[in-house]
Amino acid sequence: MTGRVIVITSGKGGVGKTTTNANIGTALARAGKKVVMIDTDLGLRNLDLLLGLENRIVYTIVDVVEERCKLKQALVKDKKNPNLCLLAAAQTRDKTAVTEEQLKDICEKLKKDFDFILVDCPAGIEQGFQNAVAGASEAIVVTTPEMSAVRDADRIIGLLEAKEEIKSYKLLINRVRPNLIKSNDMMSVDDVVEILSAELIGIIPEDTGIITSTNKGEPIVNEEKSLAGVAYRNVARRIMGEEVPFLNLEEETSVIAKVKKFFSNLVKGKEK
Amino acid sequence: MSENIFKEIYSKVLSLFKQTEKNDENAKDVAKNRLRVVLMQDRTNLTPELLQRMRKELIELLSKYVEMDKEALDLNFDQEGDQMALMLSIPVIRAKDEAEIEKALAEEEKAKDTEEVEETSLEDETDEETDKESDETTEEESNEKQEEEAEKNKNSEDDEVTAEATENEEAEDISNSEESNDESETSEQENEEKPSSQKETK
Repeated sequence: MTGRVIVITSGKGGVGKTTTNANIGTALARAGKKVVMIDTDLGLRNLDLLLGLENRIVYTIVDVVEERCKLKQALVKDKKNPNLCLLAAAQTRDKTAVTEEQLKDICEKLKKDFDFILVDCPAGIEQGFQNAVAGASEAIVVTTPEMSAVRDADRIIGLLEAKEEIKSYKLLINRVRPNLIKSNDMMSVDDVVEILSAELIGIIPEDTGIITSTNKGEPIVNEEKSLAGVAYRNVARRIMGEEVPFLNLEEETSVIAKVKKFFSNLVKGKEK
Repeated sequence: MSENIFKEIYSKVLSLFKQTEKNDENAKDVAKNRLRVVLMQDRTNLTPELLQRMRKELIELLSKYVEMDKEALDLNFDQEGDQMALMLSIPVIRAKDEAEIEKALAEEEKAKDTEEVEETSLEDETDEETDKESDETTEEESNEKQEEEAEKNKNSEDDEVTAEATENEEAEDISNSEESNDESETSEQENEEKPSSQKETK
């Protein structure tokens, strides 16, 4: 087995890298793929929280690098899905604890046992970013339709293009708010794609469900009805090579459509 | 009385709607335009000052060959897919005839020679320095300040000349040739598109 190593990065903090990582990883695992997620945000780890695995971590990536345990011992299995594993970051150390070479080495080893290795990149363009990118051959750039996030994404794309190891990168636009786009208060998905001139892999609508799912430690892809969940599952399908049309968010969220949906659901419920 | 009150309320409500409409139109486009400018600066390392300078030098260069509306000259970056283009749009007032152009070029040559013999002008010095030490930003800044002063002096000259221009076109030609220190004598296009390689590799 030779797995694909995908780094999930953004430049700017708080745009949803870790949420994206947790959800795409979970979605890929649900589709039957063997997935391992590596949190490279040393000192500021959060991926464990989003997956609800914070109490199960025994060893971290730093323990692996400093040979206090074997790589397999450090992999934390997901509660629900045995296909899904996490290699957690150390919370008490800083970015210098792991080098680019060491991360490359870990990715190479994991490739043999997993279909997908998702690397959660820290914010910024310093050493933490360089480390996270080192072992990857693909990248997903997460951004939102906000100026600062788009600007940072542009910077990250420039850096990724300069890296020979990165064969392809794709854009994921997170926290899209169709109502604001409709009223011309926010840049649209097309605007962002045009400005960054990058290929799109996903459009994720802003969803308050993300907050509750984070609080519960349960990725939103596991919720069948959630629109963001559907969007993340679509991203996973696109990663696996399927052609999936992008969700039409404007239709889904207009008030009239919602009312119609509500009534049609009522009728359906009665018929049953 | 009651009619007036209704009218007032009506106009207030109307103005409210008008305001929000204007804001709605703006927020997205403002963001897009601001972002475009900022990204061009990020990608090309051209600050607004440098763009201004580029604009000025282009005016100097091109006014040897055509008479143009200097105020309306538009210099912008544009993006078409992966390719970035430098768009220069110049409203031409009048094409200069051969004699005028030749004269301007001859004046330029003369000006160059005399400058070399006499004390080198402020502008030339700073140009050379910025070329050599473009890496050191502090140096560059101070140079730019000096240059701005030089610019001011020149602009005032220029204004005077254009005021007289209707009577004496030759004077303008001379002043233009004095301004232009650049050697390049080739570009005669009214609209130029220079593709500039950005984003490291593609």
